[in-house]
Order: sequence, then C-alpha cells, then structure tokens
Amino acid sequence: MRVESKDLTFIYGEGSKNLSVTALDKVSLTVEEGEFFGIIGQTGSGKTTFVQHLNGLIKVGKDKGSVIVGEYNLSDKKCDFKSLRAKVGMVFQYPEYQLFAETVKDDVAFGLKNFAPNMPEGEREKLVREAVETVGLNYDRIKEKSPFELSGGQKRRVAIAGVIVTKPEVLVLDEPAAGLDPVGKREFIELLHKLHGAFVKTIILVSHDMNLVSENCTRAAIFSHGKIHSVGTPKEIFSRYDELVELGLDLPVTASLTRALKENGIEIDSDLTVDGFIESAAKIFAGEK
Amino acid sequence: MKEVAFGQYYPAKSFVHNMDARVKILAVIAYIVAVFLVQSFQFMGFAACLLFVLIATAASGVPFGKVLKSIKGILFFIILSAILQVFFNATGNVLVEWGFIKITDKGLLNAAFIVARITLMVIGASLLTLTTSPVELADGIESLLTPLKWLKFPVHEFALIMSIALRFIPTLLDETDRIIKAQKARGADFESGNVFKKAKALIPVLIPLLISSFRRADELADAMDARCYSGSKNRTKYKKMHLTWRDLIGVLVMAGLITGVVYLNITGFLAVVV
Repeated sequence: MRVESKDLTFIYGEGSKNLSVTALDKVSLTVEEGEFFGIIGQTGSGKTTFVQHLNGLIKVGKDKGSVIVGEYNLSDKKCDFKSLRAKVGMVFQYPEYQLFAETVKDDVAFGLKNFAPNMPEGEREKLVREAVETVGLNYDRIKEKSPFELSGGQKRRVAIAGVIVTKPEVLVLDEPAAGLDPVGKREFIELLHKLHGAFVKTIILVSHDMNLVSENCTRAAIFSHGKIHSVGTPKEIFSRYDELVELGLDLPVTASLTRALKENGIEIDSDLTVDGFIESAAKIFAGEK
Repeated sequence: MKEVAFGQYYPAKSFVHNMDARVKILAVIAYIVAVFLVQSFQFMGFAACLLFVLIATAASGVPFGKVLKSIKGILFFIILSAILQVFFNATGNVLVEWGFIKITDKGLLNAAFIVARITLMVIGASLLTLTTSPVELADGIESLLTPLKWLKFPVHEFALIMSIALRFIPTLLDETDRIIKAQKARGADFESGNVFKKAKALIPVLIPLLISSFRRADELADAMDARCYSGSKNRTKYKKMHLTWRDLIGVLVMAGLITGVVYLNITGFLAVVV
C-alpha cells in the first residue's frame, strides 16, 4: 500500500491563544509500497504526530490536508478505520508497556480478536503461534506464561508479535530500538528485515538513531518544526552535514568519517552503509599503497 | 484526553494568581459556605455570589469560557438533580399534570435553586485550581494544616503525597492517551457497545496504566532516596509564602460577600417572621 499525505496540518490545542502548538505544517510526503522508509528529526519535530495520522489514531482535521493509505482516504468520514488498522500495524515506543492480558497467547491474540472476531479458535492460534515464532520466541514454552514474568527483551518481542499477528502490509515503528542493548538491537533489525521480506510490504521507521536509518532505510525524511526539511536516500540527506548539525541531529558514523576524510583531502563516495563505506574506502587505500 | 483535566492550572500573571495560596483556599471555603448559606428563593444572595465570581474571574485573567468549561464534567449531575426536582417535587401549586408526573412552581424553583447552587460552587472551586499551581496548592494546604502537628498528624507527609498525586495527573493522562492509542492500533474499540461492553474494553488500558503507575512510584521513591529525601523539621522551602496587600483586599471582599449573604438571610427571615 502506498502512503501519501498532502498538505497535512495538525495543531495541538487549536483555538487557544497561548497554548496552541503547530505540530505539522503542510506536510506532503509519499512513501511507495516496498520502501523501508526512515523518519528522523528532533524531539517535538512532529514525527510521532505524523505517523499517528497514518492509521487514523489522529484524525485528519477539516481543511487540514489529506492522507491516503492504499485505497483508504483517511480524510473521508466514512473511512473504515478498523480494517485500516489491521493493515497498518503500529509499534509504539516501549511497546512492552501495552501488555495487559493474563497469558502471552491472549495478549498476542488481542488484535485478531478485535479485527476478526469470528475467526475459528484453531486458525487464530495458528496465526498467534506464527507471530510469536516470527519474533524469535518459543511459542510452546511461553504461551501460558504471564507477559509480566518475561524479561524486558522478551516482553518487547511479545508486544511486537501482538502487532504483526494481523499481518499488516504497512508497519510503522516509533523509536522501536530505544532501550535495547547492542545484541537486542541487532536481532531487532534482523527481525525487521525478515518481516519486510515476508508479508510486510512497507516499513516506516521513526528514529533518533542515524546509524539505524543510514544502514537500513531505502529513503528517509527529516522533520523539523513540523515541516519536512528534506527527503531522499540516506546518501542524499546525510551528505548535508552542516544542515543536519544545525538541526540538532547527529550524523551516522559513516557520514562523520566521510566528512572527516574529505576535510583531509580524501574523497570517499559510498552509499553510507558501513559495508558500502568500507568497500569504497578499501579501494582507495589499496590504490594508494 | 486533555480535556478531562477539570480546572487545570491556567498559567498567567494576575491579581488572583499572585495571591497567597492559603488565603485563596480559605476564601474558597468561605465562598462555598456563603453559597450554602443562601436560603431557598433568596436569589439576591446568589446574585451576590455570582457578582463575586465574576469579579474574581475578571481579576484572575482566566478566560470566562475556560472557567465555564469546569462545569462540563458535572453537567450530567446538575441536569439530573434539576430533572428530579422538576418532576418529583409534589409540593406547591401544580402547573402541569400529566399522568403521575406533576410539575409544580415549587419544583421549578427548587430546580433552579439547585442548579444555581452547584454551578456557583463548582465555578468558584475551579477558580482556585485554575489560578493556583499544584505546588502552591499543596504548600498552602500544608501550611494551613500545620496546627494538626500538635496532634501528631503527619502534615508534611500528607502534603507530599498530595503534591505528588497532583504532579502525576498530567503524566498519567499522557500515559493513558498513549496506551489507548496503542490498543486502538490493535483494533480495540472504546466507543461502541453498551455500558458493560465499554467498561470491559477499558481493561486493556487500566492494567498497563496500573502497572506503569507502580513502576513510576518505584522510580520516584528510588530517586528521592538517592537524594536522601526526608521530610525533616529543618527542611526549607524554595518559595516562601508571604501575605501582601492583595490578600488583604481578597479577605475584605470575601468578608463583604459573607456579610451581604448573612444580611440578606436575616432580612429575608425577618420578612417571613414579621
């Protein structure tokens, strides 16, 4: 499903004179099906507000632009948000804080019970098992456990299983790697790629972690003060070093290195992934010897 | 979700904002007493209270709409008590009779009386929370309760619990909003169905909220411990409370209101008796 917003505007506390904050200011952005799209920007730049429009958690206001996801027109009052939400999965920051059920099985099944209440029990359990196993957990061992007795990393996996159990075509993740240790982070990224290769067609990843974005995303957008500052491939957006620093953003390691080497007269042209950077750098340094 | 917060602090610089919290608390208590002193059908007394609220609102710099909004939360309650009065008060002259329902002039008057009483009370009380930050409020209450220390009542701890509770209201509202969104994203439906279905739909929100409250409480306790917090005698305050000329004016106006209401009561009483 293609995700498209046009002139999307959102104001918190609209109508109040001193308290209103413009979170989104005429944001037009298109994410094509199949993309692994990154959204970066400072805290308060409107990233979260933007992605919460994509499955109708925040409704598009009157005369506030439009959002179209696949065949769904979200500015339309008759839009079927329930079936939309089954197709646009959303993983929030610290998703483990949304767990509530008595058993892992029930918690993961929550979405299915809401979206497809008439699904036979056997089929439902099959999907739950599949989701739990996809996130790398042993279903038989944990299905009857309380989600609260699991470890932090396991909780997060269960929470993600609870989102992907409906096999969404678009998966939106808001700062999903926050608080994970390096191993957890690596495994998590592998999981994302696994999902992207399976039923998830489009991934939209909101993150502060520039390395995560430069390493994994096909394209990315930088949000700043409710507007889109730039959109492009990681290479395109991360080459604007000075602007990024001015916006209060970090550079990915590869971009920092490229910039530092350039200042010393060595030009390395790469796609800014670690592997790509090493390959290009190796060629140049080998040539010098 | 943000609209739920009844009488949430409205930051501004104004006459009422700058008054001492203790005086404001006492004034609100006095005001509520005044509202309740107004005897039935003494609408002049209500007019005096209304005038007082209007002046106080004007002096507080809080928009009138914001103050009126504070009734929204209990509108249902007000309407219900008015309806009960209108339909089930059988005393007085019957105006309309329809089956077992009788509408009497006394019923209507009583309904108006109750609506006026509750509305005036809530508006006055919300003016306190609108113009006094939670911290000031807690400090004020602590200071007012100080005499209870003689009875070994843990005044400081009580005030601390209160200010922490007030401090966490916005945090918990945000958290609730987040959890509701997360469960909505998983297809939860909070709008349709009957009362029982709606109540049941709240479980996926309440459990995570409860758990995160405990987590926050633990973290806060640890953070306070780490800084060696203790509510000992020698603890000083960053902001000391001072009485100023504003408070004097406030007290005088308040005294005027009480005198007025009591005077109206007495003359009303005399008019009936004599």
